[in-house]
Amino acid sequence: MSQDPQQMTIRCPRLGSSVTFAYCLGCGQAGGPCFKICDCWWEMFDVVGCLESRLGHEAVVKLARARPAPKVASLIELIAQARKNASGS
Amino acid sequence: MQGKAIILPAAELPRQWYNILADIKMNPPLGPDGQPISPEMLAPVFPMNIIEQEVSSQRWIDIPEPVLDVYRIWRPSPLYRAFALEKALDTPAHIYYKYEGNSPPGSHKPNTAVAQAYYNKQFGIKRITTETGAGQWGSALAFACSQFGLECRVYMVRISFDQKPYRKTMMGMWGANCIPSPSTETKAGRDALEKDPTTPGSLGIAISEAIEVAVGDTSGQTRYSLGSVLNHVMLHQTVIGLEVKKQMEMAGEYPDIVIGCAGGGSNFAGLAFPFVYDKIHGKNVEIYPVEPKACPSLTRAPFIYDHGDTARYTPMLPMHSLGHTFTPAPIHAGGLRYHGMAPTVSQLADEGLITPKAVSQVDCYEAGVLFARTEGFIPAPETTHALAQTIAEARQAKAEGKAKVIVVNYSGHGLLDLGAYERFLAGELQDATLSDEEVKQLVDRIRNHPVPQHLKSV
Repeated sequence: MSQDPQQMTIRCPRLGSSVTFAYCLGCGQAGGPCFKICDCWWEMFDVVGCLESRLGHEAVVKLARARPAPKVASLIELIAQARKNASGS
Repeated sequence: MQGKAIILPAAELPRQWYNILADIKMNPPLGPDGQPISPEMLAPVFPMNIIEQEVSSQRWIDIPEPVLDVYRIWRPSPLYRAFALEKALDTPAHIYYKYEGNSPPGSHKPNTAVAQAYYNKQFGIKRITTETGAGQWGSALAFACSQFGLECRVYMVRISFDQKPYRKTMMGMWGANCIPSPSTETKAGRDALEKDPTTPGSLGIAISEAIEVAVGDTSGQTRYSLGSVLNHVMLHQTVIGLEVKKQMEMAGEYPDIVIGCAGGGSNFAGLAFPFVYDKIHGKNVEIYPVEPKACPSLTRAPFIYDHGDTARYTPMLPMHSLGHTFTPAPIHAGGLRYHGMAPTVSQLADEGLITPKAVSQVDCYEAGVLFARTEGFIPAPETTHALAQTIAEARQAKAEGKAKVIVVNYSGHGLLDLGAYERFLAGELQDATLSDEEVKQLVDRIRNHPVPQHLKSV
């Protein structure tokens, strides 16, 4: 592949709009890669190899282990966080 | 001359939704302490009448007349016989597609948005918040709120907001306020902007903003709305399948196969759950939720309790998963870590009442193009998953010489998402999948997770 993957675009199945690989690298938790980055890009190029070269093996392993929270559970978490934000703490 | 559309008379619009929780047993969602999450914990974001539906085990739930009245704008939706597609495939199969693209926002999503808006109104709520990616759900909720005179605030991920300004316009036409996220209205948004003033945003930030606004309204007049995954959303969508059953009676046929795409599960559930009811009660029907081949969260993995994050702070829900320790092998990484499926859909798969299928990206786009060139409608990208499986089944029917009857949910049109087809038409896609051995190795790593009971409902 000759093209810089960061400049490539793909339709994000979560957003439903076009995003660059660079966006996928930074839209996840704490500004890290999206948990679906490998899912979405693997048919385009060796995204795992790319991530390893960019982030290192351990970071890719950590990313691969990250999981989206089940919806009900994530709502409970978000409610707790929202209450903290609302109270200013 | 044989008509293509099977139009259900207005008087035949279903008066009740079907609640599958009456017919299956579910493992409860678990908190970090291993204890079930109580529904009351959701009260800050949902009105109690919706929470009651979320946990209800009543089989048939009346559709309120005001909801029916809004449904009547586009419901009953047509069921089409896909004669042109059948001819193109030279198949003996009879293909029917349920057209949900005729709702005002263009998808199945108003089926629950309208119901949720109504119940919020009944509960005394004045304002509903939500998040949206490219605007499909936001548009549906905006439309629904306009029908019941509710204020609607939609936090739309900035990158999509900039790409699709017409979505803001659509929501504005229905009186909703579409706000690019992150915004300065919430602490979650301000924190994100402080870190990066030019951030394109994310769904995580947008949902945090929507919930913060709902929870932070001390008047108690604001709630949050979600368009997928949860039980009450699946419930509201069953109007689709209930209509289809009547329409198939009009056609004088009963499906051998029922197919829907399975992202969060709601459009699949909407078509399929009423047929699951039939299957539980003895009907011989195959039911296929379809997901991307690169995402075998249901098709290849065991049924386990799984945490939501690496640190295991988040509670566990029973669902199909490949677990925490998965490390993607080069090229074979697709889809393994997405498990946002509705728990009810996961449960049905575990019980063998539905049979998950997977299709490749290329097959999906080919299906979308073939469908557009035969039936005329341009499907939403998500819808192409179901169409791809439908085409595969129709070809199989030809190979077997069987006139199988196939029903598929055409969940929405793709007229606002044409960019999705550009790369396919440019010939840039390729295909790949996991081997069975790779899946086996991954599964071996999660043997120590607690295993939920494999409940049998029938």
